[in-house]
Amino acid sequence: MNPYVLTIFLLSLGLGTTLTFASSHWLLAWMGLEINTLAIIPLMAQQHHPRAVEATTKYFLTQATAAAVILFATTLNAWSTGEWAIHQMSSPATITIIMLALSLKLGLAPTHFWLPEVLQGLNLTTGLILSTWQKLAPFALLLQISPALNSHLLITIGLLSTFVGGWGGLNQTQLRKILAYSSIAHLGWMVMIVKFAPSLTLLSLLIYILMTTTAFLTFKTLSSTTMNILATSWTKTPVITALAALALLSLGGLPPLTGFMPKWLILQELVKQQLPLLATLAALSALLSLYFYLRLCYAMALTSSPNTLTALLPWRLTQNTNPLLLSATSMFSLMLLPLTPTIMTLLTY
Amino acid sequence: MAYFVSLFLLGLVLGLVAVASNPAPYFAALGLVVAAGAGCGVLVGHGGSFLSLVLFLIYLGGMLVVFAYSAALAAEPFPEAWGDRSVLGYVLVYVLGLLVIASWFWGGWYEGGWVVVDEFKELVILRGDTNGVAMMYSSGGGLLVLCAWVLLLTLFVVLELTRGLSRGALRAV
Repeated sequence: MNPYVLTIFLLSLGLGTTLTFASSHWLLAWMGLEINTLAIIPLMAQQHHPRAVEATTKYFLTQATAAAVILFATTLNAWSTGEWAIHQMSSPATITIIMLALSLKLGLAPTHFWLPEVLQGLNLTTGLILSTWQKLAPFALLLQISPALNSHLLITIGLLSTFVGGWGGLNQTQLRKILAYSSIAHLGWMVMIVKFAPSLTLLSLLIYILMTTTAFLTFKTLSSTTMNILATSWTKTPVITALAALALLSLGGLPPLTGFMPKWLILQELVKQQLPLLATLAALSALLSLYFYLRLCYAMALTSSPNTLTALLPWRLTQNTNPLLLSATSMFSLMLLPLTPTIMTLLTY
Repeated sequence: MAYFVSLFLLGLVLGLVAVASNPAPYFAALGLVVAAGAGCGVLVGHGGSFLSLVLFLIYLGGMLVVFAYSAALAAEPFPEAWGDRSVLGYVLVYVLGLLVIASWFWGGWYEGGWVVVDEFKELVILRGDTNGVAMMYSSGGGLLVLCAWVLLLTLFVVLELTRGLSRGALRAV
């Protein structure tokens, strides 16, 4: 792709999210979402091979449908109440439709089917953009409408997402599909708590972005998209392999690592809200996800694949990617837990 | 004037029949152009001269772009036209359906309006459509800049997706 054209697409990607962040009017927010979708489509179909084009088509169809539903619901809202502002939604029907459209956009449980297949067709960098930057704009809208939302709907979507994310990832050998199901599960946690403590949603989104960036960049550095390649990739960079195992456990939410923080705080908040059954179910669904993270860890770092050692050794070429982002995010995704009070203060203030 | 309006209405209906019955994008797009032009004529006949001018310029401009893209993407060497038997079958069925519906409404056709426009509702100095254009340029200037950027972005997106002939993302299979 021509670098000038690439610049236009990346700038518009930024513009779309910024517009949705900045607007208090539904029409402008919708425009931001559409610009976001439009700008990433050529980036997704960049390689022009059939799977990428198929993934692009699926992504375009789902996102366009979701955006059209949002536009429909907001028009309905403006028609019946005369109100275009995002944070002053009052009609329960339209706000429920918008929530369902946003969950289609984000890939939450009853409407999640596109996400694994789209992510599987992309390369890891575009997949990283798709599962981090593209989630920001819908989440900004979700946080703004959350006070008026029905908590039963949110809890249903959230719990369904965590379970579907856990079950869907169980038998996968493709890393991008596992990451997609991990995204569904994490987003489920965020949606479950958004009614009770929006700051916790923000916190989990932030930490999920850090952790999934680590995972995507690690897999990109090891240039692996399946578990088989991952199992024989430890000779390339042993340190990254060791850290990646811990980063995956952090995604799973094990205690001394950063990923434990959002799960801990969310469970605490759920118990505070007199919902112990929901908290128990959510914790049990995290076990399902933990199983496939552990499986990845096992294949990657806890066992050595039965090959002769010389067959595994790669050429030591100079690496031409900048490791700065990967080192920063892996540090964050391993060691932020002691900073929990500071981060909570930052986000609730 | 009534003669012209009925001529335009006939053109509108025939254009829409052409859109609905043609499998080839060339003739379907041509039918759309005819329908749009005749529709603008009907609007002029009912007093919406400014609106019809805007529609004619912008809608037909957009239509021509769509025509160019669809013809470039789905160009077939031997397109089916109205002369072919299958297309003629579609045309006859549509016209027949049209006549049935027209006979259903025959005689009981009243002029109905959904909304009151222009100066009939309240006292205004300017007409509704020209006033709206002024409003769009004064209060909606930022959004217009944004829309222009989005159109430019769309152009780049379409060019990037259709680039590379048979090696491109979209191709005539």
